[in-house]
Amino acid sequence: MALLEEPIKEVVTLKNFIGGEWVESKGEIKDVVNPATGKTIARVPISTKDEIDAAVEAAKEAFPDWRRTPPVARARYLFRLKELLEENFEEISRIQTQEHGKTIDESRGETRRGIENVEVACGIPTLMQGYFSEDIASGMDEWVIPTPLGVFGIIGPFNFPFMIPLWSAPYALATGNCVVVKPSSEVPNSQARLAELADEAGLPPGVWNVVHGGRTVVNGMLDHPDIVGITFVGSTPTAKDVIYPRCGATGKRVIAQGGAKNFMVIMPDCNVQRTILAMMTSFFGNAGQRCLSGANLAIIGKDDEFYNSFVNGVVDAARRMKIGYGLDESVQMGPVRDKEKKERIIGYIESGIKEGASLRLDGRKSINIAGDYPETCFLGPTIFDNVTPDMKIARDEIFGPVMSVLRMKDLDEAIETINRCPFANGHAIFTSSGKDAREFQYRIVSGNVGINVGIVAPMAFFPFSGMKDSFFGVLHTQGQEAVRFFTESKVVIQRWL
Amino acid sequence: MKLHTASEVISLARELENKSAKFYQDLSQKYAKDADVFLSFAKENEKNIVQFERAYYGVITDALEGCFAFDLETDIYTFEAELAENVDVSGALKKAIEIEEKMTKFYFEAAEQSKSLMADVPRVFAIIAKKRGGRQSKLKLLLG
Repeated sequence: MALLEEPIKEVVTLKNFIGGEWVESKGEIKDVVNPATGKTIARVPISTKDEIDAAVEAAKEAFPDWRRTPPVARARYLFRLKELLEENFEEISRIQTQEHGKTIDESRGETRRGIENVEVACGIPTLMQGYFSEDIASGMDEWVIPTPLGVFGIIGPFNFPFMIPLWSAPYALATGNCVVVKPSSEVPNSQARLAELADEAGLPPGVWNVVHGGRTVVNGMLDHPDIVGITFVGSTPTAKDVIYPRCGATGKRVIAQGGAKNFMVIMPDCNVQRTILAMMTSFFGNAGQRCLSGANLAIIGKDDEFYNSFVNGVVDAARRMKIGYGLDESVQMGPVRDKEKKERIIGYIESGIKEGASLRLDGRKSINIAGDYPETCFLGPTIFDNVTPDMKIARDEIFGPVMSVLRMKDLDEAIETINRCPFANGHAIFTSSGKDAREFQYRIVSGNVGINVGIVAPMAFFPFSGMKDSFFGVLHTQGQEAVRFFTESKVVIQRWL
Repeated sequence: MKLHTASEVISLARELENKSAKFYQDLSQKYAKDADVFLSFAKENEKNIVQFERAYYGVITDALEGCFAFDLETDIYTFEAELAENVDVSGALKKAIEIEEKMTKFYFEAAEQSKSLMADVPRVFAIIAKKRGGRQSKLKLLLG
């Protein structure tokens, strides 16, 4: 099958977007490599502390006017941005495939989910209404006004380069705040394109800023006294040990989303054919690089025939999966983001073998890449059978296309095992029993719960939840909770004497 | 060739609609008597593309089974859309019916298989399949 056209044709050095200007960075320059082709597609600056300071300064300067812009007018900027995103939908999607490696269907899905957040934030005139009580005492009234706070920092991860900053940015802007976005330096292109479109939408200078880089930029955000809050999506160690405590120490609001180890619970009464399809997407979609991916497949019951046929079905489906460059429409799984990530995943596969799990499908060996591409970042789907909950592959977040199959005697055992897991992001059950489904959703500790859904990704008008070591903070990104995160309640009590 | 991803199937549907639209445009030039019917079919094809693209791009999400939604064999549904020089009206109408049968079958099968996607995509496929069924009846009437 012919490849879809690549939107990035020329290697350019990306610039920061500060105060409405595209500014060249003085920082060191790093290559951005397409993981499927191995070709450099851009160069990204690792910006300096002065540059993050300049962006925060620009945002701080823009804040008073932006805050005074009526919500209905702010929403109109977002409506325009939404139009531009629709007009450039395909280009943005293909950029994601080029920079990240995901398939074109996955990239389009990511673009759509990003746009949905802009759409929801367009409702801000209603979403940020306060409330009012007349006559709290005779002749006295009281009301709440949700007010913006100032400048927010948004730190994006590598796995959803376009969508995740949009879990926060549209709400921050709609509520009257200004933002500084730090995209992942591994995949900065779609955010650079997004900033161009935000500029084209006419947002005033300084309202939306982008600073490329790494730790210096993150530290600059965390330490900056004029940044009032941070949203972060990344690994649990960084969320838990860096972002969350440092925001606490500097008095910032924080949403820090961490890692996961999601269980997919398979009841013997599930729709087998549909469930196997769902497992392919859940475990191997985005090459397993998402915090909502299935990681552990828990098959319930003592029925050997069901167990064996389900595992065989999953192994067969995974073996037939087409791997290659995501701009080939027939490809079902792309590469992982880079060589280091692949090596880390291989380390886990080796640890699974050492700990005694049975390797049913070896992604290190069974790679049949469609097209002439270097193997550097490609890894096939890997399936382990006979995994026990104490094994490293069942406990750690692998963040790659690896499935660990565990067997449990009943739903009780599954729920108890899952609730001992420190992560609680997106566990799911597959069953045709409403009773079991309800029991599962009632007892399971998980920010997002799936019932016959393998990737429990909340729509933009629901919070993207997470519990235990998968989330640090109080309010979540997306929807009403994001509106609350980005506003502070001002309470007014009036009496006219 | 087997198709598995939503993107591939949408591309195939677009290709089939364009080919069949071209077929009806050619037919309208060759047989002026029923040109209005053929041109309305060609126009409807354009609308079909808009409809399924809107459904696909409007509801596609990273979370559902976009890459594993189908198991469609393309050879069953592809067709030759060129009209032979010496074909008479009855031969042309028979070819049109044959094309419509293939496309109806394609959309029914695509609707059935895409149930793992959000409901809008299979629903649109099913609507188009039904419309194409209606076309077959009209073509059969013209054939007499």
